[in-house]
Amino acid sequence: MSIRMGSGCVADLIARGPVRPVEPTIVAGWEVTGTAAGAPAGAELILTDLTPVAKVLVRASPDGAMAGALGIPFGRAARDSSGAMVTGSGPGEWLVLGLVGEGKALCRRLEDMAAQAEGEELVSILDLTHGRALMRLTGHSAPSALAKVCGIDLADKRTPDGAAFRSSVAKLVTDVVRDDQASASGQVPSYLLHCERSYGQYLFDAILDAGAEFGIDIGGFRAPGI
Amino acid sequence: MSHRKARARMRLERQPGEVIDRAAPLTFRWNGRQYPAYRGDTIISALAAAGERVFSRSFKYHRPRGLLTGDYLDPGCIVQVGDEPNVRGAHRLVEDGMQVRAQNCWPSLGVDVKAANQLVAAFLPAGFYYKTFIKPQRLWPAYEKVLRRFSAGGVLSSGEGAGCYDKRYAHPDVLVAGGGPAGMAAALAAARAGASVLLAEQDHQLGGHLRWGTSAERAVLSRLAGEIAAEPAIEVLIDSVAIGRYDGNMVAVVQRGLPHVSERLVKARAGVLISAPGLIERPYVFAGNDLPGVMLSTAVRRLIAMYAVKPGERAVVLTANLTGDAAVKDLSRAGVDVVHVADARKGEDVVRAHGRGAVRAVELAGGERIYCDLFVTATGWTAPMSLLAMGGRQGVYCRRAARFLPDPERLPNEVLPAGGLAGDGSLDEMLAHASAVGAEAARRALGIGPSRPPPARPVDAHPELFRARTHGFVDLGEDVLSKDLGTAVHEGYDSAELAKRYTTATMGPTQGKLEAVNVAAILAEATGRSIADIGTTTWRPPYAPVTLGALAGRISEPVQHSPMHSWHERHGARPLVAGTWIRPDHYGDPAAEARRVRQSVGIIDVTPLGKLDLRGPDAPKLLNLLYVNKWSKLDIGRVRYGVMCAEDGVVMDDGVTGRLGEHFYLMSTTSSGAQAVEEWAENWLQTSYPDWAVHLTPVTTAYASINVAGPRSRDLLLRVVEGVDLAPEAFPYMHVRNGRVAGVDDCVMWRIGFTGELSFELHVPASYGLHVWQALLEAGEDLGVGPFGVEAQRILRLEKGHLIVGQDTDGLTKGFSAGLDWAIKLDKDDFAGKPELAWQAADGDYLRLVGLQPVDTSVVPPEACQIVDGSAIVGRVTSSRMSPTLGRPVCLAQLAGRLAVPGARVEVLLPDGRLVAARVIEGLAHVDPDGERLRG
Repeated sequence: MSIRMGSGCVADLIARGPVRPVEPTIVAGWEVTGTAAGAPAGAELILTDLTPVAKVLVRASPDGAMAGALGIPFGRAARDSSGAMVTGSGPGEWLVLGLVGEGKALCRRLEDMAAQAEGEELVSILDLTHGRALMRLTGHSAPSALAKVCGIDLADKRTPDGAAFRSSVAKLVTDVVRDDQASASGQVPSYLLHCERSYGQYLFDAILDAGAEFGIDIGGFRAPGI
Repeated sequence: MSHRKARARMRLERQPGEVIDRAAPLTFRWNGRQYPAYRGDTIISALAAAGERVFSRSFKYHRPRGLLTGDYLDPGCIVQVGDEPNVRGAHRLVEDGMQVRAQNCWPSLGVDVKAANQLVAAFLPAGFYYKTFIKPQRLWPAYEKVLRRFSAGGVLSSGEGAGCYDKRYAHPDVLVAGGGPAGMAAALAAARAGASVLLAEQDHQLGGHLRWGTSAERAVLSRLAGEIAAEPAIEVLIDSVAIGRYDGNMVAVVQRGLPHVSERLVKARAGVLISAPGLIERPYVFAGNDLPGVMLSTAVRRLIAMYAVKPGERAVVLTANLTGDAAVKDLSRAGVDVVHVADARKGEDVVRAHGRGAVRAVELAGGERIYCDLFVTATGWTAPMSLLAMGGRQGVYCRRAARFLPDPERLPNEVLPAGGLAGDGSLDEMLAHASAVGAEAARRALGIGPSRPPPARPVDAHPELFRARTHGFVDLGEDVLSKDLGTAVHEGYDSAELAKRYTTATMGPTQGKLEAVNVAAILAEATGRSIADIGTTTWRPPYAPVTLGALAGRISEPVQHSPMHSWHERHGARPLVAGTWIRPDHYGDPAAEARRVRQSVGIIDVTPLGKLDLRGPDAPKLLNLLYVNKWSKLDIGRVRYGVMCAEDGVVMDDGVTGRLGEHFYLMSTTSSGAQAVEEWAENWLQTSYPDWAVHLTPVTTAYASINVAGPRSRDLLLRVVEGVDLAPEAFPYMHVRNGRVAGVDDCVMWRIGFTGELSFELHVPASYGLHVWQALLEAGEDLGVGPFGVEAQRILRLEKGHLIVGQDTDGLTKGFSAGLDWAIKLDKDDFAGKPELAWQAADGDYLRLVGLQPVDTSVVPPEACQIVDGSAIVGRVTSSRMSPTLGRPVCLAQLAGRLAVPGARVEVLLPDGRLVAARVIEGLAHVDPDGERLRG
């Protein structure tokens, strides 16, 4: 069984995330900080608001057929063959991140997956694109900046690339995914931070504050974003 | 030669290990006068270089005090820096332009009138305060005012403190507390064994005693420092002190000297803690031991080697160990005339220092008096076991070493001592042992290989030297004399813990690090017991004083904003802090906002309303469990009001839930109750009904929620809504529809009416909330639409008699007391709180929620006013406002059942003592009791 509630793709409308953009520009129908106003690509530490990214929550049995089809255990994250990032965000809970504006298509694909998965379990698929804030912190000093507001051990051996956890970040319940980024000099530590939408500006400001001593910059949004 | 020129001569020529930068001269002010310094100087080293010898007045007797230990612990070197009191002057580095003042003196350091205390010292024995000010008890307030004038310490700024504080977390495999040679070697060994290492050093440089050692020792330091710098697995924190060790080997480290913040609290969860604080040199107790010019051997060695400061001109040294011997050489090399060396190992002793305001001479045991301006003692060591003892372990006294040592058999597995704490020996032996400790720490932290505990280290023989045959100060921070301890014992306070509290010995700024062993020895002497029997007082965190700012760190207070928050800010909304939400209380005139809703149409941002997405065939089971009313037969497209009670029958939340699909419900909760309801529901599902097929997902902020209220609300929505028939018969009261609003798809529309007016609650995908909000205002301009805030909503709902959970109920209000008789279905099989509610219904004697109207239409009784019947309290006003619609005050109240009948007259007690009459109305609604407006 699957149930879906879509967010709808609204033409000629401007969607706004919870984080105030710097010198706003419109990308894929969203008001965002543009790349021109954002930090240069080579900046030491960059925080980028990724709220426009499609975010779909999947609820299913932790050890059921849908869990098997998704193939990502609790505490891990990886991209699937379509490029969507599937995160095991909780026991029996996955957050799937997709391309901007592709929330409905992502939901349909997950519904198909649920339909094909054998079993009678309850599977819920919710498009939470508008209900969650998403941001990315990238840079060699990202672990140090994050360690100022998060008590989890961020060392490579404990929280390697692809690790996911839910914890307090600046006293806020936040899902964190380590998703390192490629650069000319190799892999750079990068973290996706995901929280309830209404706290988005607060979390963004808290990370900026934590990263101030490391020279943090605000990044511009680049579609597809993930 | 002038006095000033003589002062300047205390700065020596360049020393090979000096830490000052002669290329970076600075100036600062001490008590208003400008002084020179070099970068790297401490406040006290710069003042000592300028010839100053008195830096503070003592705690109780206001005696002049100078440099004793020359480090962080120095009790005579506590000063005020700008607005910051109690700064450790022998540790704090000079900054250009720094304003430093002496504290605990008036009118000046040189002339302190409170020094008159010395004249009556004989009448101020230990326990003076307790004995003198205990009776008559009624005079204590007066005593307190006088005593407060004699309290020591600096002056706090009345404004906000400068700078800011923050914190960080760390998860080292091995944390090394102490960056002396042992700590450095242990850190290197641990890192080379594969561990991540955090090395914390209290001073401004690594190296410990090697910094003032021989050239060979400095070469070892240079090698170790180079190896540490090249080891990426070691993070070094200087000017950082481990203040405590807690459960799970959580070690709190306070880091100072950072460019961005005043102080930082590092919360380090260490796999293994290596405690390597080094040994603390112990002062000697004798008459005159607090005179400026009496210094420890390590202090003079620091001054000479690190700061190139000559400690005096003519010195006597009392030595019982190699450090004292080395101090003699250092002094001679620095040009100090060492006129006499008393070797305690040969039974020689010094019994008294003479002088007024500074040392002028010392008296040897044989009575010989030797004139000098510097008396240096090297009489023993204290092993600071704080970080070990915080695990509940006390040290054991070793008579051979004349100090307490940790008991290795009783150390927890995750703590290891190194360096002087573990024993004595040559530098090479100490480094080898520390390396073994570091490797063992890495093995334990990483779980690799078998444990190989390093062997116990031997201790060197050392004379037991605590007090000469004369009495002197045993605690220089608290001005406690050795004879005070004798007095305490004489009066029955004969244990270390009792004597400490009676005399305050070990309770001062050094917290026993300088004086604990001397106190134990003197108590042993006074009681005739052994030092081992007496023991030390309990070591407790913090190891070093810590500011409240460091403990508070950065204040993180999460706040929530709705998608329309920026619009509210731009349009003058007065913010209301409601839990973590920042909401518009009003836009200038809440009464006018309420009238607009009654007369035309208003819109309010109700995004904080909790919203839970319920999916699955067993959702009705969950609703029936959580709510007191029935949910099995709610049709798709219908909305129902529900009330939740906790298991004790007390009302915990309310809201409406709509059925949007066959197995799809959207539940709303109060704004403040959203999280609690979610957790409560999840708790039921996970612990009691894990087999129910239902998923519950919080979606509060997935939607921007806007209530459109007023007689023209339908007219307004007709202009912006597509795909939904808004006619009363097609979309009646308590129904839900899904459609497009202002071009935005997937909007949920509820026809409900908290305000008592025709109203539609729109739940819009949050990213389009601002778009829809602005579209409504634009589309309804000719209808007179405008925003209204929380205050107007509260007025409107009170006029209508709609309760607010938590306002009209409290932590004791059960369902029937909230006027919910109509909703509570005791004939349901079961629901949360049913047994208690059944009992309440059977009992019948309970407060009831009533509508109340004061007879005097000009008086609005404040909320929480008591309702009285003679001398009995029979209820309270829960909500009250002046009604803009009726032009009179309206209230809701909790009232005793016997009075809760329409027409009953009661009296409300105002805060000023007046009584005002009020009348109980029929039902709860003051406006539109029949609900015609609501259902229009």
